[in-house]
Amino acid sequence: MRRKRAIVPTVLAAGLLILVLHPFLWLILSTFKNESDIVQYPPTFFAGRYTFLQYIKVWESIPLLNFICNTVIYAGSVVVISSIVDSMAGYAFARIKFKFRNQLFVVILISMMIPSQVLMIPLFLEEHKLGILNSYAGLILPKAADAFGIFLMRAFFTSLPKELEEAARIDGLDEFRILFVIMFPLCIPGVLTCAVFNFVGNWNDLLYPLLMTSSAEMRTLSAGLAMFVGDRTIEYGPTLAASFISLVPLILIYIFGQKYFVQSFATAGIKG
Amino acid sequence: MTVFLFVPLIMAVGISCFNINIFLTDISFSGLSNYAQMFQDSRFLNALKNTFYFTFLEMPIHVALGLLVAVYVSKNTRFRKLLRSAFYLPTVCSMTAIGILWSFLLDPQIGLYTHYSSLIGLPSLGFLKDPVMAMPTVVLLTVWKNFGSTMIVLTGGILSISQSYYEAADIDGAGAVTQFFRVTLPMLVPTLGFCVITNTMANMQVFDQIYIMTQGGPLFKTETAVSYIYNVGFKTSPMDLGYASALAVVLSIIIGIFALTMNRYFLRKEAGEI
Repeated sequence: MRRKRAIVPTVLAAGLLILVLHPFLWLILSTFKNESDIVQYPPTFFAGRYTFLQYIKVWESIPLLNFICNTVIYAGSVVVISSIVDSMAGYAFARIKFKFRNQLFVVILISMMIPSQVLMIPLFLEEHKLGILNSYAGLILPKAADAFGIFLMRAFFTSLPKELEEAARIDGLDEFRILFVIMFPLCIPGVLTCAVFNFVGNWNDLLYPLLMTSSAEMRTLSAGLAMFVGDRTIEYGPTLAASFISLVPLILIYIFGQKYFVQSFATAGIKG
Repeated sequence: MTVFLFVPLIMAVGISCFNINIFLTDISFSGLSNYAQMFQDSRFLNALKNTFYFTFLEMPIHVALGLLVAVYVSKNTRFRKLLRSAFYLPTVCSMTAIGILWSFLLDPQIGLYTHYSSLIGLPSLGFLKDPVMAMPTVVLLTVWKNFGSTMIVLTGGILSISQSYYEAADIDGAGAVTQFFRVTLPMLVPTLGFCVITNTMANMQVFDQIYIMTQGGPLFKTETAVSYIYNVGFKTSPMDLGYASALAVVLSIIIGIFALTMNRYFLRKEAGEI
């Protein structure tokens, strides 16, 4: 009786699994198809023959290498810088007593609520005035600290026992040494959770790099790909190959860092 | 942080009171005229309508699917853990790549899924090229991509419900359906509230999938508030940043009102007042 009832949901779940994975499989297969097999009618899932050609053509048809470099530099340095800044700020909010600490933290929480669009145009003008539009600095600096990261890191530091830093303070360590030698290593899981979340977010972001960069040489993967798709100037095969290439790093990070993704979302859930 | 967050915030309100274009020429003070202008702007009202349509069609489907799947995968068997990882996969991917992928699959001529739908006897569908179908198609794709994140959050919520409630319900002879409505659902209200609110806020800012897949077309049927703001400020001349900024401020206020109202509703629900 119990077994029988479980069959229907299992079948539905398996069906959903196919629906979720099928487009990915099609994408992978299609990047190895010939142009004529991609555009043929009626379309088919499999092709008669497979080729590696699209992966060679894609480098010639769009500045993919540029995009990849930009994205790695942008997402990578944002992750490194914001991990450091966020954990310093989080530590300060969790442990050091200073004037207006609670008020300042409330301000940071409020800033999490503001939709990013309202900040886009002023940010654009500000960068224009500072002359850092369309540069790495312009991309990276506004993202150097984020409220969610500070919030998360503060939660991690608060959960550590106070005796640790008191012992360190008695041993004569200054605050920076306490943070980086004693506390930071204990927070590695927290930092990684933050970092993974941050990296994926920036890697995928579209509107922000679209506005802050104007030349094709400065575009990130998602902004650059969007530009070429909008133009419809390149062939289908290379477009698909480029899309797949842009997904590979994320899928790899996901496979190896799965528990950090789940953790970041679990924490996000507690927040609500 | 101060420089890149609070200065822009104050500037945003300031800029919205000026006539200003992207080349920073002819700047003049215009008071509230940018705000008055938008009530006569039928394209903005249309974009706002599309945004609401998208948000309140996507959000219920998204949360309901996320909840159903979460209930199923929240038992720790190997198959269900695999499902969890697989359903979360599209969430990690960029909307750009996913958008490109799906516009191929749903292409009216060479799309594989268009072909499948005609194989099972449906009339030939235009999907993204059809004025009536375009928005529901974007909604479906967004649900497909994002329901995994809601599922993960809700699974966490379900797993943290104490097993003793279910044991008590079992002894009282409650079936699986009753247990879902009388135990799981009431205990999940805070988590569900979080999902509904964050999802609504994100949906009101929908941009990526529109930009990649439809560019607001056909016939402006999928143009959303943010894509219109982008259009006004950065794409079509005269690149009116003042007006775009006013639109952004109004959109944020609308989002804020929705978030606060929903938050109050869920807090009262949690307290058992409703």
